[in-house]
Amino acid sequence: MVATAPERSTRSRSWRWTAFTGVSLLALVTIHMVAHHFVVDEIGGLRTYQHVLDYISTPIIFVIEGVFLMVVTVHAMLGLRSVLFDFGLSERWRRRLELGLVALGIVTVVYGFILIGVLASRA
Amino acid sequence: MSETRAPFDRERDAGVEEILRGRRQPAPVSRKLPGPIAWFDLRSRNTGHLAFSLNRVTGLGLVAYLYLHLAVLSQLLGGEDAWNDFLEVATTPLFLGLDVLLVFGLLAHGLNGTRVALVGSGFVPNRQKALFWSLMAFGAIVLVYSALHIFGGEA
Amino acid sequence: MTTETTSTRRLRVHRFKRGDDAPHVEEFDVPMGEDATVLEALRWIQLHGDPSLGLRHSCFHASCGTCGVRVNGRERLACVTKIADFSGTITVDPIANLPVLLDVVVDMATFFAHYPDPHPIVRESGFLPEAAVADDLDGHERYEDCIECGLCLSACPVAATDDSYVGPAALAYAQRLLEEPRDGVDRNALLDWADQDAGAWRCHAAFECTEACPSDVRPAQRIMSLRKELRHRRSEQGREVPEQAAGEEAT
Repeated sequence: MVATAPERSTRSRSWRWTAFTGVSLLALVTIHMVAHHFVVDEIGGLRTYQHVLDYISTPIIFVIEGVFLMVVTVHAMLGLRSVLFDFGLSERWRRRLELGLVALGIVTVVYGFILIGVLASRA
Repeated sequence: MSETRAPFDRERDAGVEEILRGRRQPAPVSRKLPGPIAWFDLRSRNTGHLAFSLNRVTGLGLVAYLYLHLAVLSQLLGGEDAWNDFLEVATTPLFLGLDVLLVFGLLAHGLNGTRVALVGSGFVPNRQKALFWSLMAFGAIVLVYSALHIFGGEA
Repeated sequence: MTTETTSTRRLRVHRFKRGDDAPHVEEFDVPMGEDATVLEALRWIQLHGDPSLGLRHSCFHASCGTCGVRVNGRERLACVTKIADFSGTITVDPIANLPVLLDVVVDMATFFAHYPDPHPIVRESGFLPEAAVADDLDGHERYEDCIECGLCLSACPVAATDDSYVGPAALAYAQRLLEEPRDGVDRNALLDWADQDAGAWRCHAAFECTEACPSDVRPAQRIMSLRKELRHRRSEQGREVPEQAAGEEAT
């Protein structure tokens, strides 16, 4: 009846960041969805090409969408981590998974910023 | 006088060997269903498991959507014509329906996530069922409004 | 003198013996009275059907926790689960997420191995004002609500895929120790034990453990209380516990 001694590190940071980014997304997703489905008077509220350029080139919008991109990516990577950890992976595979998710997250954010940066520059 | 039993005799003790071999086998773990399928098996389960399964399905779906969305938005790099071609497809009823599905996923995941964040922080753990259903009811109202707007085309 | 109505019910029972390639199911038609329990039906099978049926039970009144099984997929104590509550064929399986030793008997050593050490079962309650000891008694012994039946672990969706998860029972036990501190409990060591990936933070708030618990332990609520304790400790100490490896939380 001896439990193994716990590792000295805490995993609560994952949970706290997941919760924090999740709560932030309640506002950010709402803004994003309203902006892209409820503002423009087109079918489905979808923006035309020029609408998108005008939208993303506005500085405050660029910042908000950039923050949204980062927060949603962090939340997505943490969520994936949580789901994949539920498979009972060994410590070695957990580390590999974390590194992989960090890399995926960085690539996602970098590509996203390149995308909105290019579009903003075209306006 | 009692007979002294000889040490293990393979012929005589074949049955014993079989029993010992059985005992040395690792005991298989009882599972309801193999692997992650169990996460989504709602038979004989309750509200909390429904919430857990829903959160997991919508979460994974939204991660997939994130990358699909980035791929779709990349059409914008191809210029106005490329984007207009996409819009022609995106404004068909099927795709508008997928937009409504997206809204469902966002509402289900976001509102249930709110429950998980609150309850997981130690707030109202004894009211988690009521919290789930009331949040889902609110979500259903928002979903209906969103669907009417997406298909209706007016703000 | 009342005459009990007897009806024949069909039970589909999980069968497995160590060394078998795979488990199988056997059906038994069992004549039972209307107040009969699943445990009585299984014992009838042992006596009149198949004496090799492996079965674990003890008290017959839901206080020992040894007769936990899954009845029609749902975690139950066989001794207090009435046959009459079910219609049609009744399936009886061992509780999930633990190794099966024999038929519906599981290896509880794995369940107990997850508990924090030390694991006092019985502790004196003489320190509580309301537990003043009467003159003719040496002292009180307080028993835990938890009967360590394992139904919570069986119902948990996380334990379904991750055997390293310590489980609701062990976490609820740790929270009870914190809630009613007695001599010999090292709060920090206990919180350190709970503050791990396979501990309090692995729970996804499905609350199936609370639904399955036959003793009103409410393990899910206790896990959430445990998290609250961990957060209070963090804010009191005003520090981040150092991460173990560079790969942790870089996102």
